[in-house]
Amino acid sequence: MVTAPRLPELQECLENSLRDAQGGIVGVSVQAQQRSGQSPGCSEQSRPCGVQRGRSGRVRPAGPGPCRPPSRRAGPWAERGGAGMAARAGRCCRAGLSCGALLSPALLSPAVLSRAPATPRWGRAAFSSAPAVSGREGPQAREGSVRRRGRTLQFVRSAAPPRTERMAVDQDWSSVYPTAAAFKPASVPLPIRMGYPVKGGVPPPKEGNLELIKIPNFLHLTPPAIKKHCAALKDFCTEWPSALDSDEKCEQHFPIEIETVDYVSSGTSIRNPKARVVTLRVKLSSLNLDDHAKKKLIKLVGERYCQETDVLTITTDRCPLRRQNYDYSMHLLTVLYHESWKTEKWESEKSEEDMEEYVWENSHSQKNALDTLLRIKASENVSNVTKEELLASEVVKNYRNSVIALKNEGETESNISQYKESVKKLLNIQA
Amino acid sequence: TQTAKSHTGRAAEHSDNSHLALQAKHTEQHEGRLYNIPLEELSAVFPHGLPHRFQQQVLTFNEARVMVRKPALELLAYLKGSNFSHPAVRYVIYGERGTGKTMTLCHVVHYCSRQGWLVLHIPDAHLWVKNCKELLQSSYNKDRLDQPLQASVWLKNFKASNERFLQEIKTQKKYMWGKRECTEEGRPLREVVEQGLARVRSASDAVGVLLRELKQQSHRGSFRLLVAVDGVNALWGRSTLRKEDKSPVCPEELTLVHNLRKMLMNDWSGGAIVTTLSQTGSLFKPSSAYTPQELLGKEGFDALDPFVPIPVPNYSPKEFESCYGYYLERRWLQHEKGQGWGGKRGMRVLGLELVSSKWAKKLDKLNTDFCTHRDAQSFAVPSVSLQGPRTFPPCASGLISSVCPCTPRVST
Repeated sequence: MVTAPRLPELQECLENSLRDAQGGIVGVSVQAQQRSGQSPGCSEQSRPCGVQRGRSGRVRPAGPGPCRPPSRRAGPWAERGGAGMAARAGRCCRAGLSCGALLSPALLSPAVLSRAPATPRWGRAAFSSAPAVSGREGPQAREGSVRRRGRTLQFVRSAAPPRTERMAVDQDWSSVYPTAAAFKPASVPLPIRMGYPVKGGVPPPKEGNLELIKIPNFLHLTPPAIKKHCAALKDFCTEWPSALDSDEKCEQHFPIEIETVDYVSSGTSIRNPKARVVTLRVKLSSLNLDDHAKKKLIKLVGERYCQETDVLTITTDRCPLRRQNYDYSMHLLTVLYHESWKTEKWESEKSEEDMEEYVWENSHSQKNALDTLLRIKASENVSNVTKEELLASEVVKNYRNSVIALKNEGETESNISQYKESVKKLLNIQA
Repeated sequence: TQTAKSHTGRAAEHSDNSHLALQAKHTEQHEGRLYNIPLEELSAVFPHGLPHRFQQQVLTFNEARVMVRKPALELLAYLKGSNFSHPAVRYVIYGERGTGKTMTLCHVVHYCSRQGWLVLHIPDAHLWVKNCKELLQSSYNKDRLDQPLQASVWLKNFKASNERFLQEIKTQKKYMWGKRECTEEGRPLREVVEQGLARVRSASDAVGVLLRELKQQSHRGSFRLLVAVDGVNALWGRSTLRKEDKSPVCPEELTLVHNLRKMLMNDWSGGAIVTTLSQTGSLFKPSSAYTPQELLGKEGFDALDPFVPIPVPNYSPKEFESCYGYYLERRWLQHEKGQGWGGKRGMRVLGLELVSSKWAKKLDKLNTDFCTHRDAQSFAVPSVSLQGPRTFPPCASGLISSVCPCTPRVST
């Protein structure tokens, strides 16, 4: 029987169904040349977005064809596999779905999957060769809609061996990490483990270890690297004066230390507002201060003076420029020095609470001791004993020292026993 | 037989030296031993002032045994050798909590009362600066406040302990109590005390009069005066009392405290002042404070200066053994093997240093627990392994190791 000449659409439909029925690459490739022109177009359209497309990419006529592809041939496994792979490979073109090739289980074998990475490269032109269609797509392809990206096959890249295997032991490390960079497990040839160990196990290895990536590392600052930095900077430096070879000499000739910080950052601007801060440090022993002046200066500066190290620290940042802040700090030092040498009228009203340390002269303790001694002398009928005599006597001096130690240094066992002995001698108590 | 021997041995160790002469002769060799105070004497000498713990022990054992310890011996030596024409010397007993400061003070008080001194014993000065229900404005001085209840309680106890002195000592001035009543010059002090007890409103003033009279007359030499104050840091601390307008009261605004402070000055002679610092019961002081400056503060230190500080430490091993042996003898610690040689040897091996009253408290509690469980044999035994020649009784080890607050050091 002679077949009637078919309508081009019908012909096309039949060819598609034939291809579907065959369900293999072979059937598809026949059509590849014809469709190649279309595929790029389709792929371009469908590449940007992964959601289900409209029917734009389809060339096939809409409407169910007379022949249905045996879409049920590939089971749900094919669908699932196909969907998973589709999710992974973003570039899989749904235009390839126009081929409507069925994905048989055999095609989804790992062998095929391992070949898949090669596919995206020429997937655009000949995507039709990619078995990217799952069973479910058959009827839908028939309908002419664009697939979701999730349905396309994903291609897993095979892992290349890490760079560490090709590193020599005596390589130049500063070329591996020339600047501060995140930790790259494939570039650091150390068997590092970091993290909380699994119960009964060991900490996780470095591959894919977020803990190691998160923390700052100093792989770019090894001693040889720093040597190189120093060598590069040396051209810009001047010699250290040979006469200043010890800390004491530096201290003696240059008692004031100025500390400033310069900031460098990757950006368009070299300005940093933090760079205006100036810190001035000086030891009070290097200033010419007498007892009163020193106490007054310490009271004036308050927290800026450290008792243990005898260092006065002035930090200025109230001016916008560094030079201005430096001038201001020097001005402050000058003013403090001169003011502490002056004695105001109201300083004579300094009371016992204002004193920095305990002073025995004119204290309650002295008064009590003298009164007691005078009474003792009176009871023994010894008169003509003056206060000065009593104050100069050995027992009173001993007592004075023990009270001063007790008050200034706090109470310790030794202090208290020393005080006890001195009181016993003072009051002439015998056991 | 062995247990009987050890009993008698221990009894000889803490034999009672209740004989008058013997007690005065307490020396270094008596250190660690316990001496007995007859109960009738106890109520006469200590109407108030014994620690609560000790009073319970007296009730339980029906006898009062005080341990002779080094700080007390030292103080007694000072008192024996002191010159009574010189101004009164102040002694401040200090130490950590529970070490025996009040007991030391009581020992000294007992000694002095045996020797015929007039003892002015203020059992706890903290009671005068807190929890006072009634505060009256003083009629003598408008700025001050009276405490009638505290004053009358103290007067009652003072009268009980110093009857004969009150009869002998006469007033030197005429005192007016309010508008109508007065005490003439030359009347025995007893009448002042009676007046204070009868008219509670003027009790605080009566106390003030008493102190003044005693201070003025002590230098004559007819009697020796001992001023014993427990918790003397209360006088220079803060008080929790408030006036009617809710403003806080300073201690010096209280009549009692004001007069007592005057008494503690060393401007009189013919006696001694023995005081104790106490953190328990103190106000606004941290529990770790125990040294003189910490508890007295600046004001108190300046007022008491110069004083002789006397530290009181925890029990030494010898004292501990003595106390432990005493409890065993009185059958307070009850377990079969604890009394034998192994028990004591085991304790020496452990070499524990224990706090006196705290340890006793815990020991009592554990002992009562033990007694209730004795039949059931269900006493929980924490494991303390000792390699001694005799196996240390598990019960005793359980008792001791869970009792002592510090870790036992095994001394080999």
